[in-house]
Amino acid sequence: MANIFPRSSNILPIKLVIILFVVSNALTVGAWYYFTPKYTRVGYQPAQPIPFPHDVHVGQLGMDCRYCHSFVEVAAHSNIPTTQVCMNCHSQIQKDNPKLAPLRESWKTGQPMEWIQIHKTSDFVFFNHSAHVNRGVSCVSCHGKVNEMAVVYHAKPHSMDWCLDCHRDPAGALRPLNEITNLNWQPEQEDPKAFIAKYGKPPGSENRDFSSSKERLTQEDIGSTLRDKWHINPPDKNCAGCHR
Amino acid sequence: MKRIFQHPTESLTGKKYWRSLGQLADTPEFRGWLEREFPQGAAEMEGGEVTRRNFLKLMGASTALAGLGLAACRRPEMHLVPFTKGVEWSIPGKPLFYTTARPTRRGYSPLVATTHDGRPTKIEGNPLHAVPKGSTDLFAQSSILDLYDPDRAKKITNAGKVTDEAAFEKALEGMLKDAGDGSGLAFLLEDDNSPTRQRLMGLIEKKYPKAMWAVYEPLGEETSDVAYGKDMEVLPQFEKADVILSLDCDFLGSEAEVGTTRAFSARRKVTGPDSKMNRLYVVENRYTITGGISDHRLRVPASQVGAFALALAAQVAEKMNDAALGAAVKAIDAGEVKGRGSVPRLDPDWIKYCVEDLVVSKGASLVLVGERQPAAVQALVAAINAALGNVGKTLLGRKNTDMPTVRIAELARSMTDKKVKTLFIVGGNPVYNAPADLDWANLQKSVPTVVRLGFSEDETSELATWNVPLAHYLEFWGDGRASDGSYVSVQPMILPLFGAWSELDLLAKIAGLEKPTGPELVQETFKQIAKPGDFYTAWAKFLHDGFLANSAVKPGALTFDSAASLTFVKERFSTPATGDDVYEVVFTPCSKMDDGRFNNNGWLQEIPDPITKLTWDNAAQISPATARKLGIKIENKDGEHYEMIEIQLEKGSVTLPAYIAPGHAEGSISIPLGYGRRVVGRVGAGTGFDVYPLRTTSSPYYVVGAKVRLTGDVYKLGLTQEHFALEGRGGDLTREGTVSEYKSKPDFAKTMGMDGHIPPNVSLYSHPTLNNPELSSHPSTTATGQRVNPGWDATGWGMTVDLNSCTGCSACMVACQAENNIPIVGKHQVMNGREMHWIRTDRYFASVDENDPDPEMISQPLMCQHCENAPCETVCPVNATVHNEEGLNVMVYNRCIGTRYCANNCPFKVRRFNFFDYNQRDVMAGKADKNGHFGVFSGVYEWNLISEKGTADTIKMQKNPNVTVRMRGVMEKCTLCVQRIQEAKIAAKVAARDSAEYRIPADSFTTACAQVCPTEAIVFGDIYNPESAVSKLRAAERGYRLLEYLNINTRVTYLARIRNPNPKMPGAEKIGAAMRSHHGEDKHEAEPKEPQA
Repeated sequence: MANIFPRSSNILPIKLVIILFVVSNALTVGAWYYFTPKYTRVGYQPAQPIPFPHDVHVGQLGMDCRYCHSFVEVAAHSNIPTTQVCMNCHSQIQKDNPKLAPLRESWKTGQPMEWIQIHKTSDFVFFNHSAHVNRGVSCVSCHGKVNEMAVVYHAKPHSMDWCLDCHRDPAGALRPLNEITNLNWQPEQEDPKAFIAKYGKPPGSENRDFSSSKERLTQEDIGSTLRDKWHINPPDKNCAGCHR
Repeated sequence: MKRIFQHPTESLTGKKYWRSLGQLADTPEFRGWLEREFPQGAAEMEGGEVTRRNFLKLMGASTALAGLGLAACRRPEMHLVPFTKGVEWSIPGKPLFYTTARPTRRGYSPLVATTHDGRPTKIEGNPLHAVPKGSTDLFAQSSILDLYDPDRAKKITNAGKVTDEAAFEKALEGMLKDAGDGSGLAFLLEDDNSPTRQRLMGLIEKKYPKAMWAVYEPLGEETSDVAYGKDMEVLPQFEKADVILSLDCDFLGSEAEVGTTRAFSARRKVTGPDSKMNRLYVVENRYTITGGISDHRLRVPASQVGAFALALAAQVAEKMNDAALGAAVKAIDAGEVKGRGSVPRLDPDWIKYCVEDLVVSKGASLVLVGERQPAAVQALVAAINAALGNVGKTLLGRKNTDMPTVRIAELARSMTDKKVKTLFIVGGNPVYNAPADLDWANLQKSVPTVVRLGFSEDETSELATWNVPLAHYLEFWGDGRASDGSYVSVQPMILPLFGAWSELDLLAKIAGLEKPTGPELVQETFKQIAKPGDFYTAWAKFLHDGFLANSAVKPGALTFDSAASLTFVKERFSTPATGDDVYEVVFTPCSKMDDGRFNNNGWLQEIPDPITKLTWDNAAQISPATARKLGIKIENKDGEHYEMIEIQLEKGSVTLPAYIAPGHAEGSISIPLGYGRRVVGRVGAGTGFDVYPLRTTSSPYYVVGAKVRLTGDVYKLGLTQEHFALEGRGGDLTREGTVSEYKSKPDFAKTMGMDGHIPPNVSLYSHPTLNNPELSSHPSTTATGQRVNPGWDATGWGMTVDLNSCTGCSACMVACQAENNIPIVGKHQVMNGREMHWIRTDRYFASVDENDPDPEMISQPLMCQHCENAPCETVCPVNATVHNEEGLNVMVYNRCIGTRYCANNCPFKVRRFNFFDYNQRDVMAGKADKNGHFGVFSGVYEWNLISEKGTADTIKMQKNPNVTVRMRGVMEKCTLCVQRIQEAKIAAKVAARDSAEYRIPADSFTTACAQVCPTEAIVFGDIYNPESAVSKLRAAERGYRLLEYLNINTRVTYLARIRNPNPKMPGAEKIGAAMRSHHGEDKHEAEPKEPQA
C-alpha cells in the first residue's frame, strides 16, 4: 500500500514544535513587556540637564508646587518654569554651583532649557490640569510623591484603564481644595468635626460617632462627601471627554 | 411587520428637486454616486503600479522587516522647552484673542484672531463691532491659510538675484534722491481706505507733488459721479426695504460684505406667521447666491440688463408720473442712440407686476444694479430709485474723503509716454489681470525701475526690478475703516514670517520717515482721528475693542442730480446687439478666487462653488438650451468629462471646458476670473483657465460678439454636485413653502414628503437620556452609589439650520476646515469622492424637468445629524463611534480601524474617510503630468505611499492644537466642535471650584460653523436649557427633522424655507411648491406591503 502521507510529513511534528515554541515565546515576551508597568513607563527616570531635586525644594524648603508650575490652576498644561523663575532665587543662592551652569548659560544666552519630558499623554488624549486641581484631585494622585524624589520619575502608569479607575469612582481621589498641593496629606489627619461642619456627614455614616477621637475619616468618607457636595461628575463613558 | 417605504411621489405641481442634470437623466454615473457610499473603485489605489495586492505585499514585507530590525522599540525622547523669560499674557496651552481687521476692497472687516502660543490659528468676526457682530465670510476664514502659505515670497530680490534689506533700502534712497518733484514716480496700489495710508500718501504728495497715484482693482466698480455728486458712496439700507429688485447685483455673493448680508437677512427672518419678510426680485444672467435666495428671478443676459432697466424705467416713469424720466426713456427708445441693439424678449407681465410691487412700496423699495454694469445703466437705475422716492430713504450716502487717484489706463498712458521712471506696485498682480488692451507686461518692462511689494512670486514680480515680500495683514500694525465708516485697528499676531514689508513700511520709507518697528505710525494717525485726552487709555481701548467707539459715520442724505444723470444716460446708453450665433461672455468674480489673488489657497480651491459645485477649476457656464444648440450632449454631462469649447473674440480666444448651468440665460457665457495663473505656487498651479486676455478697458464686465465652437477635446472637472446623493430622498431633505402656505398652516413642513405618509414612530422602549423626565431635575445617587446623576451637568447639544436664512455661501465649510484641522485632498481625490469637508452645502434645483429653463434653487448645509438612534454606531465592530450622554455621536479616532461600515450605514453620507495621509504628506508632492498638473492630479504618483513624509512647517503652525490631526485609515465627521464644548465645560468647572454650580450659561459659546454664519442660519446650543436660542428654535413650527420616518431621532433640526412670491407674477403659483403634494394636509399611512422574501 502506498503511503497515505508523503515523506515530507515526517518532519511535520518537528515543524509544529518549532512553531509552537516560537509563538509561545513571542506571546510570553509580548505579555512580559506590554502587561507590566514598564510599558506604561513606570519608573522612567531620565537624566535631566540639571538634576533638579524636588525633595530639596519641596520637601526641605517647603515650596509650593504652584510657585514654579504657576499655571496649573488655569491651563490645561502644567507649565515648566521659565529660566527667569529659577533665576529669581539662583541669581543669589548657589550662584556658583557647577550643576546650575546650564541654567546660567540659558539666562545669559536667552536659549531655553531643554528638559526631558517624563509624563506624556498621547496626541489624541486631551488632559486638562486645571479641571482636576480645581475640583479636588491632588498632584500626588497622578505624579506620586514628587516632594520626596531627588530626580523625578514616572510613578503611576497613566494608562487609560488607570485614568478610568478614578473617573468611574472619583471618591478615591478627592480631597479638600486647600490640600491639593500638600503631597503628604492623609485622610486620617483631617479633623472629622471640622470636616463635617464644613462639608456635611459622609454618605452612609449615620451610625458612626465622629465625636470619639478614635473614629477617623477615611479617603472613601472624604471623597464621597466631596463628590456629592461638589457634584463631581467626570466623563466616564463619554469618550469625547478626553478624545477630541 | 417590516415597513417598506415608498419614497415621495411627484408633487402636485410636478416640480421636483434635483442636484444635477445627470440626476434628471438618471445616468449610470449618478446611480453610482447614489447607491454607494464611496464610488466604484474609491477603495482602490490609483494607477496600475500600486494595486491593492501589491500594496498588501509591500505592507507584509515591511512589517516583517520592522520586526527584524526592532527599530521601533525605543520611545523617542521628547523635550519640554519653557520660555527663558515669561511672555506677558502668555499661558502655555491657553489661546489668546486679539482684535484685528482684514483689508478688502469694500473696507476693512473687523476680526478677532485666535492665537495659540503665538501662532494665529483661527479668525472670527469681531463680536463687539456693529458690522460683523461676530460673523465673517469665506475669504476672512481662509485668509489664515495664506499667512502660512509655504509658497509665499520669502526673499528680497534685485533683478532676480537674492539680496537683503539693507541693499534695498540703499537702492530706494538712490531712487528717491533723483526723484526731484516726483514727476518720474508712479504708484500702483490696491483699493484700501487705511487712514494711515492716506496720511502717508499725503506726506509723499507734499514731497513729490508730481507723483502719480493709481489704484487698480480688476473687479472694481464702475463708478460715475454724475448721479449723486462727487465721491459719494451709496449705501443701500436693506433693513428699511420691503421690496428689492436686483439688476445683476450679487449683493449676497460677490458684491457682499458681511454687513449687507446681515442687514438683508435680518429682514428675512421668520419668527412666526406674522413676520414681515421682504420680497426679492432678481434679474441676472447666471445663478448667483442672491438669485438663489430670491422670490422671483428672471434670466437676462448681462448685456441686456440695461435694456431691462430701460423697460422698467418706462413703466416706473408712467406709474410715478415722472415726466423727465419718461422723456429720457422715450428719447432712447426713439433710437437717438447709436449702436443700440434689439431689446430682447422680456416678459412684459414680469416687469409690469414687479413695477406695481415697487410702486406700492415706494420709499420702501430698493432697485440695485450690479456695480460692474456700465455707468449709464447705473445712472438710469439711480433715476428709477429717485422716481420711486427711495433716494434719501432706502438709499443713503456718505462722502468719501480719500485722496483722489487715477485709473490704471491713465497710468498706462504715461508709461507709454515714457514719463514714469520709477514705478511702485504694491500688491495686486497687473501683469496677470490688467485689461488686455493695455499690454501691461510690455509696458512694465519699459519702465526703468519697478519696485514690487508682492505677497507671492507671481506674473508681476517676474517682470519687476526689485521684489520685496509683502506682509500678511496678521503681520503688521495698521488701521482702516470698516464698511460703516468706523475706525478699526489692524494688530499683528506674529512677526513677519519671511521678513516681509507692509505697504505702510514702504510708504513711510518713501515719505522720508523711519521704517516703523511698532505701532508708531498708526498711533500718530490715531491721535489725529481720536484726539484722545489720555492717549494710552484710549489707545489700549482701541486695540482691545478693535475699533474706536462712536467713530462710525452715519449715512447721510443723498441728492440725485436728475438733469445731469438723464443727459448722461441719453448720451451713453447703449445695448449691444446680440444675434443667434453671437454670444456674450461675462467675466464673473470667482466665489473662491475673487480676482485670482487666492489662487494658491488650498481651502478655497477645494471648496465647491456655491452654485456650480466646481472645485479646483473654472469653466464656461452655459445654459442647457445653448449647450444643445452648440451640440453638447447634456444628458451625460455630469460624469467626469466635459467638452472643451473655444471662445473667439476680436482680442483673441480661449479654450476651456463647458459647464452646463441650469438657470443660466441663453446666449450668454459666464466665466469666473482668477484661474489659469502662469506663475503661482504649488496649489494654484495647473488649475483652471485664464480669461483675463479677453478682457479690455472698454469691456471689463462683459463682451458681446463671441464665436463659440466645440474643439472635440474633453477635460476632467472635479465636480461635487452628485457626491453624497441620497436615494430618492432629495425631495425629502429640503422643504419649503410660501408665505401664504405658512400663514394657513404654520407646521406645513412637518407633513411633507414621507412624513405625510406614515404614522408617528412609537417606541416600546424609553430612551435612557431622551425620555428621562428627571434629566434636568436635581441629583440623587443611584442604588449602587457608584454612578452619579447625569442631571448634575445635564446638557444636551443640538443645532438648528434655518433654510430660510441660508444663502449657501459656504463660509461654514471653511470655518469648519480651519477649526477642525480638515485637510485638502486635491482635485483627483475630489473626483473620487474623497473630499473631507465635515459640513457640506447641498445645492438643489427644483423644476419639472430638464426642459424647464427656470429652475428654483435652494441650498442646504448638511453635517452629521447626531442621530439618537444612530445607524453608524450599531455597525462599528470596535466601538469607535459611540453616543455620549450629551447627545453627541462621538468619533474615537484612536479606536477606529477603518472598516468604513459606519459610513456605509450612514443615511446622510456625512462620514469622511482618510484614504491617505492627507495631513502628513505634501498634498502637492509628486511629478507634474503633461498638463503641468502636479502629482495630486496625475494619478500614479499621488499620495505616493513611499514618498517622503512631512509637510511644510508653516502649514503645521495653523493646526488647532485642541483637535487631533487624523491619520490614514481613520474615519471622521462633524463632532459639533466637541473641543469647544469640552473647553466650555472645563471652564465652568474650574470657575465652580468647590461649588456645585457649573451649568454652562446659555449661548456662551458656539460651533465654528454657527459662529461664522453671517445670516445666523446655523444655531447651536444646549437643548436642555430653555433659555438657549437653539431650544427656542427647535420649537419653531417650521421645524422638521431629516428622515424622521426612519426613527433615527436626529439632533439637528431644519427650519423650512419660506418664499415670499408676489401672487400676481407669472408662474408665482409654482414658486416654492416643489414639495406641495396631495399629502400637504393630512397624514395617512402608505399602503402596507409585505416584504419580499
